[in-house]
Amino acid sequence: MFDKILGVALAAALLSAGPNFATAQAINSEPLSDPRVRQAIAYAIDMDTIVETLLEGKAIVADSMLPNGPHKPDGLNPYAYDPAKARELLALANWDSGRELDMVYYYGDQLTADLMAAVQSYLSDVGVKMSYRKLEGDVGAQLTTRPTNPVDGISNIAWDLGYGAAAATALQEYYNPYKTGGTSHTPGNVELDGLIDAINATANPDEQRPAYFAIQEYWNKNLDALPLYYQQLFIYESKKLNRNGHGYGNEQYNYDFGIVDWTMEPDANGKQVMYTNTAPPQFFENPWANLGIWITSKVVFDKLLTADGSLAVNGVQLAESYSVGKDGMSVSFTLKDGLTWHDGSALTVADIEWSVKTALRVPNIHSVVSNTFKSIEGGQEYSDGSSDEIAGITTDGNTITFSMAVLDPNMLLTFTQFPPLPMAHLKDVDPLQLQQAAYWQKPIGSGPFKIEEVQMNDFVRYVPFENYHGGVAQIDEIVAWPSLDGDGNLLKNAGAGRMDYGFTKNVADVGALEAMDNMRVVAADIPYTRMIWFNKFARK
Amino acid sequence: MLTYVIRRILLLIPMLLTISFLVYTALELTPGDAVSALINPELASRLTEAQFYELRESYGLNKSFITRYGIWLGNVMQGNFGHSLAGGVPISTIFLDRLPATLELSLVALFFSTVLGCILGTYSALKRGSITDSSLTVIGMVGVSIPEFFFGLVALLIFALNLGWLPVGGRLLPGYETIWDRIPHIVMPAMVLSLMMTAGVMRYARSSMLDALTRDFITTARSKGLPEWRINLLHGFRVALTPVVVLIGFRLPVLIGGSVIIEQVFQWPGLGNEFIGAVRGSDYPLVMMIALFSVFTVLMASLIIDVLTALIDPRVRLS
Repeated sequence: MFDKILGVALAAALLSAGPNFATAQAINSEPLSDPRVRQAIAYAIDMDTIVETLLEGKAIVADSMLPNGPHKPDGLNPYAYDPAKARELLALANWDSGRELDMVYYYGDQLTADLMAAVQSYLSDVGVKMSYRKLEGDVGAQLTTRPTNPVDGISNIAWDLGYGAAAATALQEYYNPYKTGGTSHTPGNVELDGLIDAINATANPDEQRPAYFAIQEYWNKNLDALPLYYQQLFIYESKKLNRNGHGYGNEQYNYDFGIVDWTMEPDANGKQVMYTNTAPPQFFENPWANLGIWITSKVVFDKLLTADGSLAVNGVQLAESYSVGKDGMSVSFTLKDGLTWHDGSALTVADIEWSVKTALRVPNIHSVVSNTFKSIEGGQEYSDGSSDEIAGITTDGNTITFSMAVLDPNMLLTFTQFPPLPMAHLKDVDPLQLQQAAYWQKPIGSGPFKIEEVQMNDFVRYVPFENYHGGVAQIDEIVAWPSLDGDGNLLKNAGAGRMDYGFTKNVADVGALEAMDNMRVVAADIPYTRMIWFNKFARK
Repeated sequence: MLTYVIRRILLLIPMLLTISFLVYTALELTPGDAVSALINPELASRLTEAQFYELRESYGLNKSFITRYGIWLGNVMQGNFGHSLAGGVPISTIFLDRLPATLELSLVALFFSTVLGCILGTYSALKRGSITDSSLTVIGMVGVSIPEFFFGLVALLIFALNLGWLPVGGRLLPGYETIWDRIPHIVMPAMVLSLMMTAGVMRYARSSMLDALTRDFITTARSKGLPEWRINLLHGFRVALTPVVVLIGFRLPVLIGGSVIIEQVFQWPGLGNEFIGAVRGSDYPLVMMIALFSVFTVLMASLIIDVLTALIDPRVRLS
């Protein structure tokens, strides 16, 4: 009799919790493969409190992998803190209270360690033991070694939960890695594959939207990864800097921030000098991996197109014009006349072609760029070395055309972020060792500023490029120090009046910068979601 | 003495070989390699095992440990120090760029700490038991006990951020090139670096001087009626200097290693800063050369100390 009453009570609880819980079950012997366990973990963590306390209100609680915006459907379950519901779901899933989950992370900051402690405490409260550790050494392999059988194989990683993030240039990036065989932790799933194909099937945002709605609704029920919070980005500026009407955007990438028009209060010598950070300690990083993080990527290298602050295409840069084929399967760019590199040599379509081909063989390259180039006819074959030609790239005078083998919804986005490099300086370098070229000691680019002086690990001095096609910049000089966000030197420099522009995601930086009279901080919502991965493969 | 010096120099070779092998082994035992350090985890998740293999192959990392060590050693023997794996910069270039900054900082700190430490230590010994002696003893203990990064941060807060007298860091400001332009930059890091050393030298000089002042030859000198300053400086101090020279000699290599933290705090573009980056990036050719350089300076310092001791102290004979 008691069992029957309990059964009715549980059924009622399930119905009130949502229609999917009753059918949810584990797909293998691993309890984390049971969506109810994942949902229980979601209910167990009080993200509202974590955001308000640990993150000092400088983040947004996430209810989906995608950031808030037009691509998010209404009615997603926010998994608001409900420990009672978490316990119910764990009971339904026959959670073994003796099991201890192993959580891993790879960030070195104190905030992450504090967050891990908080999650551990919340999980403990609902009867889930969890220990946590920072990965050291070959972090990539420990996180990402996939099982031999990507559908129902045995896990090749040692952890149960992983704390990580997705910083997306394109929204598809949130889901594309989860296609069968793409991750170390999520077994292949035909339904999910279909949903991922659907969001990649068109470049038209209106047509993409229903597909995004569908995949988010699927994800919201299954929680293949648990979105925790949306990271905000904070742009800091000194009060001496004037953007002259140009807006703010996603500073981690390249957008049309109008630096040519920026001005600074002149110093005692009447010079407009802007101080910033991200100067290199030993070499300039090639701008194809972290697309817009370094000041050099932003001001030294131009791209074919420009994007607005939210990374939507809004104009041309090196291109005079561009046209997309009616079926979205090709794009042509005609370069502006008289373009030159900083050393005075001509910038031509040959540089563009060489750069795209080289990028296909450079391993350390951003995934959006890589996907676009591999989608070019013959791109995949060129990338894997089975061909030395790419049929999909043709040139005619000052025009270069890319013909795609498969549709890439982010084709234009790629060309707002991908800077061509000068072939003459790099053509003899093995693409596998592109970063080791002497060129990266003082790169020559095509952007509004050129590198004038490099004192490695001390400072870099940039001056306006006198032949810049978009007009000569008004600031006389940019000086970059080798400090980064989360680095004490950033705050020291800002306090001493040696920091006029930069950005950070570090909450501690923000508090300190906001307290300085000479600085202002602007918050920007960016597509950057922090999450917990669940290892759902069976264990050895 | 020449035979002794030559023999000691020859002994350096097996010592350096052994140490290089030990350092190389230690690096091999640390988790990860240059490729895993170069590619961030998000990007790594998108690479196939074949791509990783190819990448490691291009850096020569797929070869066995012994083979790699042999290749590295062979190159070093031929004067080829190799390239940094992270940025492909020749290691000799990195040394040429960074070593002057580290030496500049270390030598200035060594000079100030030696002069100040010897003067204060000798004075303290001569005024043994006085308030000055007690005060210097307390200051010395504080100097030895508090970590240098703490002094560094306090100095930055006071002299750079609050008073604005000195720059917050770096070796030089853009557009300034003369030696006079460099002085404001080196003042704080050198003073902070020398602070702890001054305390150590002072304590050492004091006890050494006290010991010397109790010797028979001091009594003899006094009985001859020599002036007190001559007894203290020419007789006492000369003998007291021997252990102090040993300490100072051993400080030079320690300074090169010890400036790692100070270089970080003051954004000083020296070898210490480079070493930290190389260790974090598993850049083993660079770590090896910096480590070997440190070892070499320790061994050379030891040799120089022996020679100097023999020159200063007539009781010492090298054999």
